Amino acid sequence: IMVQLVGSLRKELADSLSTCKVLVVGAGGIGCELLKNLVLTGFKNIEVIDLDTIDVSNLNRQFLFQKKHVGKSKAQVAKESALQFCPTANITAYHDSIMNPDYNVEFFRKFVLVMNALDNRAARNHVNRMCLAADIPLIESGTAGYLGQVTVIKKGMTECYECQPKPTQKTFPGCTIRNTPSEPIHCIVWAKYLFNQLFGEEDADQEVSPDTCGVTWRKPEETAARATASEKDGDIKRVSTKDWARSTGYDPVKLFNKLFKDDIMYLLTMDKLWKKRKAPTPLDWHQLENSDSYCVSGLKDQQVLGVWGHCQLFQQSVETLSSQLQEKGEGAELVWDKDDPPAMDFVTAASNLRMHIFSMNMKSRFDVKSMAGNIIPAIATTNAVIAGLIVLEGLKILSGELESCRTIFLNKCPNLRKKLLVPCILDPPSANCYVCTSKPEVTVKLNVHKTMVLSLQDRILKERFGMVAPDVQIEDGKGTILISSEEGETEANNSKFLSDFGIRNGSRLQVDDFLQDYTLLVNVLHTEELERDVEFEVVGEAPDKAPPPQTNQEEVNSITNGNKDSAQPSTSSKAPAEDDDIMIVDSDEEEGASSSSATAATSGTKRKHSDAETGEASTKRPRTDQLSAAAAPTDDDDDDIIALD
Amino acid sequence: MIDMIEKEDPVISEEEAAQYDRQIRLWGLDAQKRLRGSRVLLVGLGGLGAEVAKNLILAGVKGLTLLDHEQVHASEESCRAQFLVPVTARGQNRARASLERAQNLNPMVEVHADSDRVEDKPDDFFLQFDAVCLTGCSRDLMVRVDQLCSQRNIKVFCGDVYGYYGYMFCNLGQEHNYVEEKPKLVKPTGNSNDGPEAKKAKVDPNETTMVKKTSSFCTLKEALEVDWTSEKAKAGLKRTPVDYFLLHVLLKFRTDKGRDPDPQSFAEDSQLLRQIRDDVLEALAVSGDLLSDDFTSYCFSEMSPVCAVVGGVLGQEVVKALSQRDPPHRNFFFFDGRKGNGVVDFFGPK
Repeated sequence: IMVQLVGSLRKELADSLSTCKVLVVGAGGIGCELLKNLVLTGFKNIEVIDLDTIDVSNLNRQFLFQKKHVGKSKAQVAKESALQFCPTANITAYHDSIMNPDYNVEFFRKFVLVMNALDNRAARNHVNRMCLAADIPLIESGTAGYLGQVTVIKKGMTECYECQPKPTQKTFPGCTIRNTPSEPIHCIVWAKYLFNQLFGEEDADQEVSPDTCGVTWRKPEETAARATASEKDGDIKRVSTKDWARSTGYDPVKLFNKLFKDDIMYLLTMDKLWKKRKAPTPLDWHQLENSDSYCVSGLKDQQVLGVWGHCQLFQQSVETLSSQLQEKGEGAELVWDKDDPPAMDFVTAASNLRMHIFSMNMKSRFDVKSMAGNIIPAIATTNAVIAGLIVLEGLKILSGELESCRTIFLNKCPNLRKKLLVPCILDPPSANCYVCTSKPEVTVKLNVHKTMVLSLQDRILKERFGMVAPDVQIEDGKGTILISSEEGETEANNSKFLSDFGIRNGSRLQVDDFLQDYTLLVNVLHTEELERDVEFEVVGEAPDKAPPPQTNQEEVNSITNGNKDSAQPSTSSKAPAEDDDIMIVDSDEEEGASSSSATAATSGTKRKHSDAETGEASTKRPRTDQLSAAAAPTDDDDDDIIALD
Repeated sequence: MIDMIEKEDPVISEEEAAQYDRQIRLWGLDAQKRLRGSRVLLVGLGGLGAEVAKNLILAGVKGLTLLDHEQVHASEESCRAQFLVPVTARGQNRARASLERAQNLNPMVEVHADSDRVEDKPDDFFLQFDAVCLTGCSRDLMVRVDQLCSQRNIKVFCGDVYGYYGYMFCNLGQEHNYVEEKPKLVKPTGNSNDGPEAKKAKVDPNETTMVKKTSSFCTLKEALEVDWTSEKAKAGLKRTPVDYFLLHVLLKFRTDKGRDPDPQSFAEDSQLLRQIRDDVLEALAVSGDLLSDDFTSYCFSEMSPVCAVVGGVLGQEVVKALSQRDPPHRNFFFFDGRKGNGVVDFFGPK
């Protein structure tokens, strides 16, 4: 039989490429490369979705975009550029979030193949579930720096994306942030919290004033009634940080003196803290005035300013931000954004002043931005390699050769067997998976008297278990509805406690997410003994601690699995062994959709763009810090746990 | 030339810093400056060439010259070839047709197109470049250019894609200097300004140090003319990627036929490939079993995803060599798109 080739491919395969429909989720680093490869390989019907708009920092690798496209929809411009080199391709672009309920199981069933080109875990979890529900093969991938990975997910045959628990965000204890920072990152987290306290959405878990320690977990309603640490007249007025700042007219010098002098002096009175640690030194504005000058040569951002330079930067940014706030009117809030210059200036200044107070070497704006903005370095070549591998796996799937599909890791250096690209056999589904087994079930330890319904919904079901719109029924024989995904229906329940509904030790909750076609049975284990500031624990999983001593493998993974607080260039030259655990990479540069606040945009909102044609007037996704109830390190310092992303 | 630390000391503008931000955060400002001062010659604008062009232009080299005498084939389906050539460019020279899109990838790079035959270029043509990258070239040409360039400390790269298979070769000279970033071990000093808990020695993730290293390369001629008749070589065969021998076969096909295997002549070319395989393996005094028959089905045409993989690795190697940062792959990279295997191995005199 003559083998007929069309280009490199056998005719049957080439023919199916021209008729089948595929979905690409994401039009960024991997997405641009992937779209190009698909079109050149002969795929004719491609749909691509991305909620983001183009930024100048994308242009070093997202090659379908040029400078003139900055601000426009990624999906739209990617489509137009791809059509330039293949006008006969049938490409549909969606400037939207894949978590929008419009993209239901029926939508997914249109495709023979779905390929993720995402940068956040929430969306990956969601697409994972949609592809399981629709029983469509999914190719999952990720990159960070020089490293990358591709894998195939097929219901019933392979692990799903959620079969293996993924490490959650690195967290720092509250006392470390508020009282005893020892690393620049602690100061940067503090500065971001300060931004929110002064200009943004105030959050009870983002306190900045010195902590007396031994404080128990507060209810969100008390957020507005926070005391400031130092009231000179001794009159403990319960005012929020924002109200206090407003009462001073956001006077930068007054703010400076409170945060960097008075509060530090207060900390010094807690002498137990300083027995083994170097004590902080308070700053005085007037003493610092004009104490240093800096010359700018080379790139501005890479300079490290002097203390007075940071004082000035603090003053300028406070003035700019407070007038921005005033312009927005009553009850307005600013959202921190690393690409918003005054917001970034503020964090640079505040964190550096704090670093200086605590005897740390100060950092350039460039370095602060990396840490504060969770920036994962990215280059064109890594994305090009991974996107090439995605298409090759796709061809195997379309040829009906699922057994030959692999997880493939891209290393920075060859491993001991000389492999730079390491293919590994796919693992079968995990028997304990709480997503892809036939009757998923979990056990959650919490305090039924102290857990509010809203927390159950937002922190446990949405954030931890990746649901978008959960419906919760209590298995109490009456089928009591605890949470309805319909807006407004169960709002009255939000601030009640679980125990108010008769939920106690051993209670079972049936949780459905109809969009994801997912039902999870939650067993409640009541406990009064959780670590301070830990709201819940999932039984059967090791609690999240400070990172254990790392092997070479973990060294490579810790950067790529979302430990963004130690976001640093991937410099590991050690290659993992061939039978690796999955190391799906999250480059969570654009923050994940899940958030601690009830207004979490878990369905994602479109990013603003000025494209007159589409007439969209959507807003940027709020970039709030994530909070998760991670377990505390068990040490007898009175440390609160505050999670951050 | 390249070894001078402050070659031309190119300044990175604020505009460049904004565009290159995400890569500067990976390989540092010094590396970006060196790229910014480098000129590269790219021969061959087929599928692989286009990928390498894209990667180098996005990386921000000073100049890239696209050299290709071929025309955009009338018979190529417009969507199979490469993404730099517009569909309207049938019959035009491939380098010239690619110029506009290539330049638009990054206006800050000087991109030139040259439609001459590389064989006709005089020796000193190559000397204006810091690195030369050859795709789609005959074995003899590659050997000649490699010899000429590496003597003058010009970095040489070769690469090709044949269907599902691809390779990259590099010769960075007998003494290629580079730096590697290693985490700094912070010694415990009471007066350290690295934080209040400076009493413990620890690896500070924020502090790194640059370690200087050297690597040595052989010529392409030496790499291809390895002697397999010795006992030691025969013993090493088991751990040798067969791709190396496949490369010999494909290079011989190209020399004999003046072109690569063509899907239009699948039957004859497959037969010829098998014949050449037998001849080559015999001439190298290795077993005919090393390459089974089925390779012939999978080495036709340049597969786009394979070009992307090989072009990505090759592009990054050029960036590393020009920026003199990070250990180079020494000296071959072989990719098998059927298996997803990517291997680095050294061939040449020990």
